[in-house]
Amino acid sequence: MTFLIQQTLLFAIPLMIVALAGVFSERSGIINLALEGIMIMGAFVGVLAVRILQGVPAFQQAAEAVSSFNAGTGEASSAWVTLQGMEILCMLIAAVAGAIFSLLLSYASINMKADQTIGGTALNLLAPAISLFLIRIIVNQNTMGMAGGAGGASWFLIRKTFFGVGANEDMGFLGNTFLDKTYLATYLTILLFVLMSVILYKTRFGLRVRSCGENPQAAASLGINVYKMRYAGVTISGALAGMGGFVYALTTQGCTTNGDVAGFGFLALAVMIFGNWKPLNIALGALLFGLFKCIAASYATLDINADGHFLLNEIGISSYIYRLLPYVITLIVLALTSKSSRAPKAEGIPYDKGMR
Amino acid sequence: MKKILALMLVLALVAALFVGCTGETKPSGNESKPADTQSAEPGKSNNPDDIPDTMTSADGKYEVAFVTDVGQLKDKSFNQGTYDGVKLFAAANNKSYKYYQPANGSDATDEDRFEAMKAACDNGAKVVVCAGFMQGTALAQAAEAYPDVKFVFIDGWSLGKDNVAGIVFHEEQCGYLAGYAAVKEGYTKLGFCGGGGGTNDACCRYGYGYVQGANDAAKEMGVKVEMNYTWLYGASFSASPEMQTLCAGWYENGTEVIFSCGGSIFESINSAADAAGKKVIGVDVDQSLVSKNVITSALKGIGEAAQQALEAAFGIKGDWGEWSGANCKNLGAAEGSVGLPVDTWSLKNWSVDDYNALFEKIVKGEVVIDADFSKLASTDNVDLKIVE
Repeated sequence: MTFLIQQTLLFAIPLMIVALAGVFSERSGIINLALEGIMIMGAFVGVLAVRILQGVPAFQQAAEAVSSFNAGTGEASSAWVTLQGMEILCMLIAAVAGAIFSLLLSYASINMKADQTIGGTALNLLAPAISLFLIRIIVNQNTMGMAGGAGGASWFLIRKTFFGVGANEDMGFLGNTFLDKTYLATYLTILLFVLMSVILYKTRFGLRVRSCGENPQAAASLGINVYKMRYAGVTISGALAGMGGFVYALTTQGCTTNGDVAGFGFLALAVMIFGNWKPLNIALGALLFGLFKCIAASYATLDINADGHFLLNEIGISSYIYRLLPYVITLIVLALTSKSSRAPKAEGIPYDKGMR
Repeated sequence: MKKILALMLVLALVAALFVGCTGETKPSGNESKPADTQSAEPGKSNNPDDIPDTMTSADGKYEVAFVTDVGQLKDKSFNQGTYDGVKLFAAANNKSYKYYQPANGSDATDEDRFEAMKAACDNGAKVVVCAGFMQGTALAQAAEAYPDVKFVFIDGWSLGKDNVAGIVFHEEQCGYLAGYAAVKEGYTKLGFCGGGGGTNDACCRYGYGYVQGANDAAKEMGVKVEMNYTWLYGASFSASPEMQTLCAGWYENGTEVIFSCGGSIFESINSAADAAGKKVIGVDVDQSLVSKNVITSALKGIGEAAQQALEAAFGIKGDWGEWSGANCKNLGAAEGSVGLPVDTWSLKNWSVDDYNALFEKIVKGEVVIDADFSKLASTDNVDLKIVE
């Protein structure tokens, strides 16, 4: 069970935050197909930031202290807190990079009134090319990881020993699941998800952003600057997606980047539509999708109630069925909910002051 | 006016993406590198990293050409290893050299590969080294079109042409050594993740040898070995969260070491190993520098093979006839082309002397390793669980 929850979170968290990124943009009236591209840029810049910060003596010493502690030779220390700070810093840098990259989309589709779908597609094609190009220049190969062969987990993974619990002691179900072998990024992302959802629904700013996605002319007539709101929506979207890209690279690829995020940006778009452009539904959708993706990848070694039997493997269903499941479930849920599903009314339409 | 501006912006965006894509068939001419290092004295430099990847020859001709397999030149694996051999040969013998990447990256077609070979021949290549079994069709076409140019086909087979040398490796031998080493080290729960989805013969031979090695070691030690074996999620040789979860599941249930046999899937497997505090075995080149989790790597000497073939092609050493025509070169332990890196491995319970003794037996033929991977199945001491 612990394994299942932890792995599901690894799949679901990037999906969740990037889908919310999509919501911010679409609720302000701009279709953001570029989520995949922004994730790629975020992952690239985030990993690059890790590489650069690795050279800072304070972080180096902290990493050495943690690694000797993990090896069982060092003193229990609070050095790991420093590394978590470094992780947060890199997440912020990735978010800034995503926000800047998304300005290309805002400029094309808000100021230039270009077709938003084409603009987004162009960014999706641009991002892997640019990041691979730069990766090749920086490390002379097509995958960029941390310097000196360090793994992302060895620097940033939180282990139970950090809390003064012995390596062989049990922390109880909650401790084992939510404290041991986790990334701080996972919880920060959940917090951020909640915070941004509240902002979108409970603040004046959120209301204004949403109104620009429904009827921008009406919003403008009440003195709201539609251009500003749309810029804000897309920029927040870019920041969240960029951060999501780095979280993906950190938690599932051991802090490496290769100009690819395995289509997670497009999956996030699907989750967003699946969740009907509403944060709570999106969170549930991402968890559901993550759960079934996780089952599909690991059903053969899944021991839910820890009795030594791999139930899903033993009932003899073909593995292809398990791998179909995430998509079949998506189809079923969409079929059942699509009647009440509706996109923001003005999304995809360039704002024109004179239009009624 | 605004419409025109908008159109221009979209065009500019689209144009910008092609900046990153163009020039793939062309040799990437990096002119900023100093050209004086190219004239390295014969036999002076033994470190391929000291030799620049691109050089400018005085007459604009490049005698030795290298056409890459899918993936980038600097992949720390197959392409890079082969090109290192080409560079070392060129530096030692004062030849001009150049590399060519077929267009369209991993979606390259036979036509793209042929175009790259054609560009090489038109640039005055006397020998073209082609890496990867996927180049077979294009190579046959190019060898026909340029009968005066010699071709070296790495990971290939005999094309029956006098100007083509085929080189095949005994991957099963280094796979065997890796499996044997892992069990002798004390691991009894092993894993194997292969690339290419089971259609790549080299990966299949690695895997089958690995099983045999584990079996023989387990028999000697009187233990039973469990092995998870899969081709899932590795078909494109790239990292994926599914691969990471699969391996995390294996590690969670006791698997102690996984043989990562397929390029970039290593990132996902290593990430799972990091989190679980478990081990990995690398492939093709020594990957212990990439991660501390790597206990050893199954090596094959692609660079040396390229060097030897080039020496034969230029008539410096060896007989080209042995490599080409109906013949093809099988390289294994006897030629010193496969093995484990003894200097950098982190094995504690299995000594270098034991390794050398076993290696000697393979060379002498006292230990015979089967390369017919269609016979893959559970053996007396290895309980094979194929995950598909």
